[in-house]
Amino acid sequence: MGYTLAEKVLGRAAGGGPATAGSDVEVKPDFVLAYDFPGYTDVIFKQMKEEFGIARVAEPERYGIFIDHMVPAATPQEEELHIGTREWCAENGVALYERAGIGHQVAAEAGYATPGAFVVHFDGHISQLGAFGTLAIGVRRHLLEAFVREYISFKVPHTTRVDLVGRLPKGVMARDVFHHVVRTLGPSSCRFQVLEFGGEGLAEISLEGRQSMCGLAMFTGAITAVVNPDEATLAKAAPLARKQLDPVVSDPDATYAARHVIDLSDLEPIVVVPPSPANTADLKDYLGLEVNSGYLGSCVSGRIEDLRIAAQVLKGRKVKAGFQLHVIPTSQEIMTQAAKEGLIATLAEAGAFVSSSSCDYCFGRIATMTKGQRAVSTGTLNVRGRMGSPDSEIYLCNAAAVAASAIEGRVADPRAYL
Amino acid sequence: MALTNLRGRAAYVFEEVDFDVDQIVGVKNIKIQDIDELAAAAMQTYDKFFADKVLPGDLLIGARNFGYGHPHYPPMKAMRHLGIAGVIAESFAPGYWRGEIAMGFPQVPCPGILAAVERWDELEVDWAAGVVRNLTQATELPFEPLSQGDVEMLEAGGLVPFLHRKVDRSAVDPTA
Repeated sequence: MGYTLAEKVLGRAAGGGPATAGSDVEVKPDFVLAYDFPGYTDVIFKQMKEEFGIARVAEPERYGIFIDHMVPAATPQEEELHIGTREWCAENGVALYERAGIGHQVAAEAGYATPGAFVVHFDGHISQLGAFGTLAIGVRRHLLEAFVREYISFKVPHTTRVDLVGRLPKGVMARDVFHHVVRTLGPSSCRFQVLEFGGEGLAEISLEGRQSMCGLAMFTGAITAVVNPDEATLAKAAPLARKQLDPVVSDPDATYAARHVIDLSDLEPIVVVPPSPANTADLKDYLGLEVNSGYLGSCVSGRIEDLRIAAQVLKGRKVKAGFQLHVIPTSQEIMTQAAKEGLIATLAEAGAFVSSSSCDYCFGRIATMTKGQRAVSTGTLNVRGRMGSPDSEIYLCNAAAVAASAIEGRVADPRAYL
Repeated sequence: MALTNLRGRAAYVFEEVDFDVDQIVGVKNIKIQDIDELAAAAMQTYDKFFADKVLPGDLLIGARNFGYGHPHYPPMKAMRHLGIAGVIAESFAPGYWRGEIAMGFPQVPCPGILAAVERWDELEVDWAAGVVRNLTQATELPFEPLSQGDVEMLEAGGLVPFLHRKVDRSAVDPTA
């Protein structure tokens, strides 16, 4: 009998052979990650010390902390939170990544996306490390367990497999593939499961595109998503890997809860209409809708391919007067690459507001919308109030569509510009 | 140690599939820290007089994939403050589930519950029998059993007391 990637990773992390879906295991996470955020890290650090009497984590090399929200700080309280995080990391000898970019991307750049590793975080978008064959799961406040115990209690999840075939048409990007999965399988189709992408069509999708797809897994109900690492992925991940582990792939005869096939050739650009990530629609049905701002960034876009296609759309053109286009490369490494390629110059010349990496645009801490305003966005989420007023609206779409909409000041089809 | 059965009325029935719980307090109120103020803001778009009607031990009923989206903790903090003792839904979104179980707040996945309950029906969740009883209508419906870990966390009263048990146990027996 074959096993899934998730069963193999969790079995190994439990100290044995593959674990069977549905079984309860005690597993040791290879890496424990978090970004500093009030109510999470500050509480965990305090509880660890005051509730459990643990002065320092036992194996600091297993932990990684990111300062990516509230960057730069806008209030003394925010800076105090960051100070507390810096002090905790120094006391514990734990690696701290500050102002390096959005943590989920920086985690990949810093080698936590080790193929075959088991990673926990409180935030579910860490699932994007699955693009590297890493099983990365957001466990919300249960993360405390990984700070006070070596092992954590975990139920081995079932896996739903989605095989991609065919070729992606022009103007259709990786996140459209994910939104199409939500649309066809449904927002609760993978509840409590792992979403596994496979199939020959994956060759069409870059590693960073796979990060975007895996990073949005929660909107199918999945607790994470994975891709079986191919040679190109291993070649990229292996030199960065923080731990020597045998890469893991699902067996051909693994048992899946369900299997689906999606033909990429059939896809069109998708828009996710407020106020729910479940509200997927064809972009073409919303063309012409007036929008005030555009956000190109976040942990599930804003990578080099997103910046390249946006620059391609905007080259020699101008953002419509009055439209606010915010372009935030996902990490400083990506920002540097984009600068070297001349993309930053192209975007700035077109009128984009280009900023260093920060999570703050995605949740409306800055570039905040007021009542009645409407954005096109490559962010993670379109629920009410996510980017400001509860009476503003967010239409999620791909990076090319954000760039095209910035030119027209209306929801626009990027294919006309490519 | 066993879980105490829940007994109370269906204080509200959320019929919306993929329900985003943040709507219970409204997104604009999600950052309110004061629990009385938060509770006063709760349910205003559903039933303005909810706080006056609810009794300690009452339950909420939800549809499929209850808690979808990007759930925050304040809405259910407000509900507990008003006396709500648990949620019974057709099914739950995993992030919401994990968050509320960690708060020691009982969640009961019970396919068919939406059709089996009217608002204000008297209900009982019998953990040992694995059923939700509608005492008003004299019917019962089996619920999906919780994982051992979730049961233990609810028994302990939430994540922190649960971890105390685990940590204390492993101090005595490192393999525990």
